[in-house]
Amino acid sequence: MTTQRSGRPEQQLFEDPAVDRLMGVLMALATEHYVLRDRVRALEGQLAKTGTLDVSALDAEPTAAELAAAQADRDAFAEALLKPLLGEQQAKGATGPFSLKKK
Amino acid sequence: MDERAFSAAQGFLLAAKMYWTTTLYRALRDEFLAKSSVDQKEQSVEDVAAILEDSPLYQYFAWLERHLQRMKYAGRYGLVPYHDERRGELLAALTGDAELDRDLELPGYYTGVDIHQHPGGLWSDATAALVYERGARSTTPMLGEAHKDLHDRFTDVVAAAGPPRRILDMGGGFGKSTGPLAERFPDSSVESVDLSAPCVTLGAHLAKQRQLDNVRYRQMDARSTDYSDASFDLVTSTMVLHELPTKALEELFDEALRVLEPGGRMVHLDFYSIPDGFRRFIHYGHARRNNEPFMQPLASTDLAALLKKKGFVDIEITPFKESEEIDIEKNDAWRFPWTVVTATKPEVSS
Ligand SMILES: C[S@@+](CC[C@H](N)C(=O)[O-])C[C@H]1O[C@@H](n2cnc3c(N)ncnc32)[C@H](O)[C@@H]1O
Repeated sequence: MTTQRSGRPEQQLFEDPAVDRLMGVLMALATEHYVLRDRVRALEGQLAKTGTLDVSALDAEPTAAELAAAQADRDAFAEALLKPLLGEQQAKGATGPFSLKKK
Repeated sequence: MDERAFSAAQGFLLAAKMYWTTTLYRALRDEFLAKSSVDQKEQSVEDVAAILEDSPLYQYFAWLERHLQRMKYAGRYGLVPYHDERRGELLAALTGDAELDRDLELPGYYTGVDIHQHPGGLWSDATAALVYERGARSTTPMLGEAHKDLHDRFTDVVAAAGPPRRILDMGGGFGKSTGPLAERFPDSSVESVDLSAPCVTLGAHLAKQRQLDNVRYRQMDARSTDYSDASFDLVTSTMVLHELPTKALEELFDEALRVLEPGGRMVHLDFYSIPDGFRRFIHYGHARRNNEPFMQPLASTDLAALLKKKGFVDIEITPFKESEEIDIEKNDAWRFPWTVVTATKPEVSS
């Protein structure tokens, strides 16, 4: 997977720009977490409706084939999670620190 | 990305934005009030900045404002990748007869920044207007689906002075402003001009779907249209003035004056009247974080003086209620400083 880069430094909103980037990782993760919650809830709802939900099958370890099938999804997840560490704007705009304090 | 994942992710981002708009904004204002000694109306932007910029709460507030918008557009579940994956079918479904100008030279102020943090802006990709349309449904989370309401309310303001005959909507986008005007005044003819080819294309498509036959969508620079002098009795714009640098804004007013007939009116909706230093600080910060470089210049321009200099009369600058429920005085959540700016071309030019 090749990460597309804009080369434009992202705005700095915390005193330590590392926090800016860390927050990006965290929020991507939070979004993904919510997408997953939503899907699991929908899935369980559907399965429960038809009476086909088997909890022990859900808890079982995935097979090698199942793991291989999820590879592209894991790669995309990893990219979305870690791309904020590059600290670049996705849409070009003003860069650098910002202050309205009296000079 | 599947529809459910897109919907869940965008829903999460909107819920986070809602929390930001209400709870975080109120907490920030309370922190400011607790730390400031004088009446907040007396404080300059610089005074507010000195009080708030080092506050962790403000820094998280600022970070979320910028990055929730980034994720909405460009994240893994962003509007841009969502529409990109579906571009074939989405673009094939567009009908309508927009007038495009492939030789139109787009101004540097327009192409130099990706407005609203929309990668590639409103002009560089054929799906840009679809992205913008989808995004605009949740620009002001407090309004939710009622965002449409805002343009209807603007149309009410316009209608109060009687039905116009020939309307020019400058920067009409995909028709959120133009559509309600064309519907409300079926006997008028409405011209919607915009720099963005994707926007006028979508505007013409939506007009065709709604069977509006009194409106045309044309790709054109509102500062240099091909209409002859005195062609309109009404010129409008919504959320356009703040996208122009001051020189371009002056050119837009000059053009409005030229195409208006004597006694014709100009009505603009934008972000302008800001009651105190705290909200000015918040607005200027929003401009910076949302990639809106000309929002701060507009809000700090003396518009009444500028319009007077340009030759307009009966200049009125009035705060605008963007929804029925909002109480401008009592509202304590984040909101844009919505303002209606009205001016008239003199009957006899001096
Ligand atoms: C925030 S949008 C508002 C669109 C529409 N009026 C609405 O309320 O939804 C601003 C619009 O102004 C357009 N614009 C910016 N500069 C312009 C110019 N010089 N001439 C025509 N349109 C312009 C942009 O392409 C964009 O569609």
